Formats: sequence, C-alpha cells, structure tokens
Amino acid sequence: MKSANVSHEEFEGLAMPLLDALYNFARWLSRDQAEAEDLVQETFFKGLRGFDSFTPGSDFRAWMFRILRNTFLTSRTGLQAKLTVQLDAEEEGSVGVTWETPESLVLASATREALQSAMDSLPLRYREVILLCDVEEMKYQEIADVLSVPIGTVMSRLARGRKMLRQVLAGERSVFAAAGKSSEPR
Amino acid sequence: MSCTEWQSRLDAYVDGELPAPEMETFRDHAVNCSHCAAAALALMEMKGALRRAGRRYPASPELRTRVLASTMTTSAGARSRAAKPKAGPSSVLSWPGWVMAAAAVLLLMAGLLFFAKRYTQPAALGEFADLHIATLASANPVEVVSNDRHTVKPWFQGRIPFTFDLPDLQGSPFTLTGGRVAYFHQEPGAHLLFAYQRHLVSAFIFRDTPQLAIHRGSFSNRETSFNLRTWTQDGLRYVLVGDVNAASLRQLADLWQQHPR
Repeated sequence: MKSANVSHEEFEGLAMPLLDALYNFARWLSRDQAEAEDLVQETFFKGLRGFDSFTPGSDFRAWMFRILRNTFLTSRTGLQAKLTVQLDAEEEGSVGVTWETPESLVLASATREALQSAMDSLPLRYREVILLCDVEEMKYQEIADVLSVPIGTVMSRLARGRKMLRQVLAGERSVFAAAGKSSEPR
Repeated sequence: MSCTEWQSRLDAYVDGELPAPEMETFRDHAVNCSHCAAAALALMEMKGALRRAGRRYPASPELRTRVLASTMTTSAGARSRAAKPKAGPSSVLSWPGWVMAAAAVLLLMAGLLFFAKRYTQPAALGEFADLHIATLASANPVEVVSNDRHTVKPWFQGRIPFTFDLPDLQGSPFTLTGGRVAYFHQEPGAHLLFAYQRHLVSAFIFRDTPQLAIHRGSFSNRETSFNLRTWTQDGLRYVLVGDVNAASLRQLADLWQQHPR
C-alpha cells in the first residue's frame, strides 16, 4: 500500500497531463459543459481514491478513461444514451468500406464544423469508439479496456461508425432511419 | 488477397493494427491497385481530419484549479485521517450512512483537538486553515481567475474597504491563480490563491484587528499538515496557509515584503 502522500503526488503527476483529453472526451459524451466538468472532477476524485488498486506499469490512461466513461454511463445523460443504444442490437462482424461515395469527395467538402456536427450526430456507441481511436489515438486493445468489450467489437463498431460518418458527410442523413437506428435524445 | 478482402481490413491498416506481415502484403498490393491505394489514403486523411476536429474542447483554467484543489483536499483528508468536506462532486449525498457517521465523529474529535490546542496556537490561525480547506473544497475556489496581478488587484476595488499590493512573482516558483472576497469575524478581506508546483497556497489579507494580534510569525499544524505564516504591513494582516513546507511559505512572504508594488 502506497503512503497517501506519495500516491497523491504520483497520481497527480500521471493524471494532470490527461486533463484536457479527459475533459474533451467528457464533453463529447455529455454534450454539456457543466456536466463534463463534473464528470472530470468526479473521475479525478474516484481515480485518486482508488489509486491503490491501480497496477503500476499498466495503462493509466485507459484506466482513467474507463473511470470517466463508467461515471458517465451512470449519470442521467449516460443512462438515457445507454437505454437508446440498447434498442439498437449490436452488429457484430466486420463492415467493409463501402465504395459508393469516394472518401476524397466526401472529405473535400467537409469543413471542421461539418466533421464535428457529423461526429455529434453519431449514437454514443460509435461516437465514443471513434473519439478513442481517431482523436485519442488509442490502440484497439486500449479501447477494448476502456469500453470493457472484446477487440472484435471495437473493430466492428469502428468500421460501422466510420461508415455512418461518411454517409452523414455525404449528405445521406437518412442513414439512421434507413438502418433502423434512433438517434439519442439531446 | 482480393480487393474485396482488403476492404474489410483497411480500417485496421490505417489504424496501424494489422500484423506486420499483413501490412507489408497490403503495401505490395496497393502498389498495383490504385483503387485500394486511394481508399487507404482517403481513410488516413479522414482519420487526420477527425483527430483535428475532435480536439474541440480544452479544459478551462477554472476546471484545472477545481480538479487540483479537489485532489489536494481528498489527499489531505486521507493523510490526516480527519473528515474534511471533500470535493467529491455531487457524490457527497450518495455516501453511505456509516461514512457520514464516522465523519461526524471525526469532526467532533477534530473540534475537541482544536479547543485543546487553542492555548498553544491562536484560534484565529485555525480559522484561516479552515477557510483555506473550505475554499479548496469549493466547486469554484476563486471569483476572479487570472494570473495577472493587474487584473486581480483592481477586481477587489469596491469589494473590500482597503487596498493592498501583490508581489512580483516573475522568476519565482509561484503563480497567482486568482482571488475572492473572504470574511473573517464579519470583516471583508482579500483571499488570493497561489500555485506552487502542484500545491495551492492561500493568502488572506485583512485589516489588522485585536482578534488578529498574533506575535509569532510561523506555525505548523501537525494534525492537518498545513503550514501558516503571518505578518503585518501598513496596518494590514497577511496570513499565508498551505500544505507546502515552511521555507516555501517564507519565500512567498519575502517576495511580498521585499517587492511591494
């Protein structure tokens, strides 16, 4: 057991550099500034309190992101999002790149704002996996640890999420309806 | 492997998650297949664009201060095994009853200890330590957030019945993080927060009153591991409180007394 003093300093040294990334993730999940700030503060509180159970040398970033995501899922907004997602059966197996819309054309017209609004329109399950992979640049194994799902699920959600993004960007906004999805309550 | 088979692996390729031999095989394939090469390139561009667009919300300085303050309070609570009002955001109400009961008992014991010590340490100083802890536990520790003393000092105009000087911290390990109005025995005063490495130090400035007549300049409180330093200057009582060591507090006090602006 680490002494409270040492573990506090160690925790801060590891956790403070993650503040921006954790807040960014929290804000994308909750879509609300005050809620995201509370989530981050609670994540740090829980992280420090449970720091003794963290295995030195293991992935601290994944550990903190997992705490944040679990905290979010038990919040009111998180529960709403989770309920909605449960209506949408998990689609396993790989989803290949579809070639109907050339990506270069999609991207050429996609401004930063268009990308952000497209990401925001994705259901939580796909939004979070794209954030962890493309924004946080986590490895599949790390993402699987954060989300507590098998790597295969990470891969299929990523492929599906990216496909939805391309479709949204290409203007096929009926994608959710066509695929039988319901978007989350805002 | 055919193009159709590669299609399902392009995501893993651009994420750098294909096994090394497969990465090589794909590169060989892409040399002769403009279709797959273009698709992989477009996916990579998309990934880059998403990375830039996704880093959208930086944490505010207020949140940084809040988080630092709350981890410090949590840790100070653990160190002293005393029940301080921790900064567990919106979670206090969900604490189990026995935690609350234990906290009440510890608070009572802390209170008894406080009275037992009041003959060796002026009671006023204990109250400053309490103000410091309560502020760190607050969701919004400061009302004016700035590291610029020319922003912080004018903010107090009209809010407190005196004016004061702030030290020039350039080249020192301290940075100003902000300030708020504090009350001590119904008297308004200035409460400033300084960051020192990962610690926060409170500085209280009040008009000197008989209740504040303190003769010794430096104290440490072993129960809470806080250090205090106090002095008077131009009729004002300055009190520094923090969990930094006594030498660091003296350094900040010296900066204040030597380079008033």
